[in-house]
Amino acid sequence: MIRNWYDSPGAGESAKRLFSLLNLSLMVVTLVVVASEFRFDWVEKLAGRYLISTNESRPETGSIWETGRHAVNAHHSLDQIIIKNETARQTVREADSFQSLARGLGAGEWANLDKDRFRQLYLSLPRIRRNALIEPARLVWLLNGTLTDRIFCEGRMGGIKIYFIDSGNRVIHSIDLDDTDAAKSPETSQTAATLDTLPGFSGRIYPAGLFFDAVFKLPQDMVPDLISDAQALLSRTGTIQRVGIWNASENGFITLGFEFVHLGEHEVVQIRAREWAVWQLGLILKGEDQ
Amino acid sequence: MTLVRFLSTLLRLVFFTGLFLGAAGLVAGSFLVFTISRDLPKLPSPLSRIIETPQSLIYAADGQVLMGLGERTAVSLDMVSPDFINAIVATEDHRFFEHHGINKLRIVKGLYITLFKPGQIQGASTITQQLAKNLFFSFEQSWQRKFKELLVALQIEAANSKAQILEAYINQIHFGAGAQGIEKAARRFFGKSALDLNLAEASLLAGLPKSPTQYNPFRHYDRALARRDVVLARMKAAGYLTGDEVAAVAQVRPELHQGRRDTRSGSYFVDALISELVKRYGEDVVYHGGIRVYTTLEPGIQSMAEDAVRQGLNRLDKLIGIGDGEPDQDRPQAALVAIDTASGAVKAMVGGRDYYTSEFNRAVNGRRQAGSGFKPFLYYAAIRNGGFHPASLLTDKPVSIPVVGAPDWAPKNFKKTYQGPMVLKQALTSSVNTIAAQLVEQVGPKAVIDVARACGVESPLSRVYSVALGTSGVTVYEMAAAFSTLATLGVRRDPFLFWRVEDARGRIIFEHIVRDRNALDQAAAYQVVDMMASVIDNGSGRSVRRLGFTRPAAGKTGTTDNYNDAWFTGFTPSLCTSVWTGYDRKQKLRDKRGVGITGGRGAAPIWTDFMLRAMNGEPERDFPVPPDIRFETVDAATGCPPEPALPETENPGDTTPAKTVRVAVKAGVSLCPEVDNAQTD
Repeated sequence: MIRNWYDSPGAGESAKRLFSLLNLSLMVVTLVVVASEFRFDWVEKLAGRYLISTNESRPETGSIWETGRHAVNAHHSLDQIIIKNETARQTVREADSFQSLARGLGAGEWANLDKDRFRQLYLSLPRIRRNALIEPARLVWLLNGTLTDRIFCEGRMGGIKIYFIDSGNRVIHSIDLDDTDAAKSPETSQTAATLDTLPGFSGRIYPAGLFFDAVFKLPQDMVPDLISDAQALLSRTGTIQRVGIWNASENGFITLGFEFVHLGEHEVVQIRAREWAVWQLGLILKGEDQ
Repeated sequence: MTLVRFLSTLLRLVFFTGLFLGAAGLVAGSFLVFTISRDLPKLPSPLSRIIETPQSLIYAADGQVLMGLGERTAVSLDMVSPDFINAIVATEDHRFFEHHGINKLRIVKGLYITLFKPGQIQGASTITQQLAKNLFFSFEQSWQRKFKELLVALQIEAANSKAQILEAYINQIHFGAGAQGIEKAARRFFGKSALDLNLAEASLLAGLPKSPTQYNPFRHYDRALARRDVVLARMKAAGYLTGDEVAAVAQVRPELHQGRRDTRSGSYFVDALISELVKRYGEDVVYHGGIRVYTTLEPGIQSMAEDAVRQGLNRLDKLIGIGDGEPDQDRPQAALVAIDTASGAVKAMVGGRDYYTSEFNRAVNGRRQAGSGFKPFLYYAAIRNGGFHPASLLTDKPVSIPVVGAPDWAPKNFKKTYQGPMVLKQALTSSVNTIAAQLVEQVGPKAVIDVARACGVESPLSRVYSVALGTSGVTVYEMAAAFSTLATLGVRRDPFLFWRVEDARGRIIFEHIVRDRNALDQAAAYQVVDMMASVIDNGSGRSVRRLGFTRPAAGKTGTTDNYNDAWFTGFTPSLCTSVWTGYDRKQKLRDKRGVGITGGRGAAPIWTDFMLRAMNGEPERDFPVPPDIRFETVDAATGCPPEPALPETENPGDTTPAKTVRVAVKAGVSLCPEVDNAQTD
């Protein structure tokens, strides 16, 4: 019988083909591979070994590395805070005046100031400024008594706050200093304006003649407390037209404004005077001194 | 013949298709391994690096550690009870010691169940895969994530011994209640080390990682026991236990460590603290920076506060008629904050009935109406800005105050009765709403808000007349802080939770400085405090005296119209405490007879109980009398000096309306102006 290639093979032929050497070999190899994988986990081991070999080149991602990164960020943030604090401490160590201290400490920065350092900075101030900063008797008690545990400085916009702190971290006295107040040189300020443009003097502006008449009626020893810094006024050219008294006191001082006129230009020179001397002067100006 | 031929063809087809698919799978698998492995995370070496994050420590005021953040107390395998190791292996991956990262049979079974039994999911993760997932991957469900997790598991297996893997695993799994790692879990739940766990305890713990919240033994002890039984069954199936052993252990109900539970209850304070630290420094510094935080919390006082709240709520449950079986969400809640008036340090904070049932901190996050508890701010404004003094005479009568663009405001008294003329001190003592309404009409709501703000209330306050009667929501924390300003006669010291923060090397990064701010006029504040003392001696807060608190103290009750909130905030010169009680949802506090529960009945007993304990052993101090204050006795009905015949009837504990009242007035203030004028005329 002639068989064409497309005729289906017989059963014998089919069995022969099915159990051919190639097929059997393939089957055995496949079974061995599968069985050995189940027995020896070689695929897992192979993959594991391959992955170990690529470990170093792979990215540090995933929650465990994130945790590490959080820790790095945390240390970075803490270091920043510590560096800021250390800088503040250095500022305090190197400051030669309250003004440089005030300018060196940014808002929110703080450092402890030891008593000797405070004493040094305090004594570098002109006498009048010292008294404005803190009453000497109080300072003696704060620095030489037993209450103050330490002095804490904190920067703020345009100045510093100085706290005298007891052992319970309680503020027992505080000083709020603008950096201009903290200057070593006596403070005077000039403003190209008239007294009328400075609202703090409103209602308390006097002709210069009237003002100085009242000044000379004060007891002799009181006048230096009123105008302690004649230099600031003497150095101005022009004539004093009017004098104003500021409507608020600060640390026991009140600002006086002297309005100078020179070649038609107005300028106000402000100096600070003792509150109680100004109060006495005010009585004279109001005619109530009797 | 045809059938044989067909079968033969089919077999060949199947074999070659299988062979082809296998080969294709192998090629695809290799391709996937090569491509995906590039994105795989790098493995740290050694694996123990997972425990290297430094923990931040939170200390109580007495130096004891309250809590460690990011704390992972790692232990080596030989420091863990073998029972636990057997239990966790039997439960999570009983072929752990046999496979090489994946359990192929379990994967096949899992695939079969997932494909052919819809609705059922069969987990196939080995301990190594779980470790890979926990260390590197999110909980996102995708085949890529699963495949990556599998590859990392293979690498972990190839790079580490089984002991190293198991050790890493048991040191990082979560057991709930803030316990990560077996050592911490053993200490948290049983107050012992992981090595000392017995079989009953070990098997209970081994059941928790499946769902730490659902099986939290502090909250759901029976569920945790049921899960423990599953663990025991698996231990038996894995050959670690015999049936008899399982039966014996199943009878044991391990005793939980209540001490740790209590510490966590105090965590309302710690939660508030962490929230503030995170606001200030960010999460990285707080949780991973290894900082040391020295808090203001006094553990002894905290414990007293928790006891007082617990007992007060039990008493309230009985008053309301709530049985033991009721779930916590159907019971009233309470919050308490105690502040040291001399510094502003928060000594104790309780934010609810049970931290485990509800972590919501009612002391700092729950804004509730303060009711009459707000009146001291009004009375201060009236004295400071309105020209009133404690002997000023007003009339308790129905009032109707016109409001622009709204109906008239006509507040009623709590008892719906009117007593006629009375002096201001008596009006506050008896918490008379109509007189408060007349005062706020005169001084304006802004003045009241300004005083509250000056004292330390920061919540939004509506600029309406009724703000004086406490219709704006405030927190217990704010009320304690604000009344603390009154206790110091106007010196405001902001409340705070920590004194100092240091980095891991002990360098100070923050310290709290107690700064005084003169927020109130001392004399006016003293007059309000004197009136508030009368609230405790003779007024709505007299239960404080009845319950045995005899020290000089002042306070004010607060109850909202609908009895939703009951407050008592009071202070001695050194300690100020605010207590709130009420339901979380809008529900009236009523006793079994349907009578509303006021601040005097609901909150004042908790306050008294706490203050009795907290002040025990402290020296008794009076409120300092400012130099410009003088005391006068006036006729309660006229505000004038009394007729000689009138007896002094204002005695502590006496509830009958006093005929004469002793008032504190500022020097130079004229009492009874009509009489003065008549004399002048």
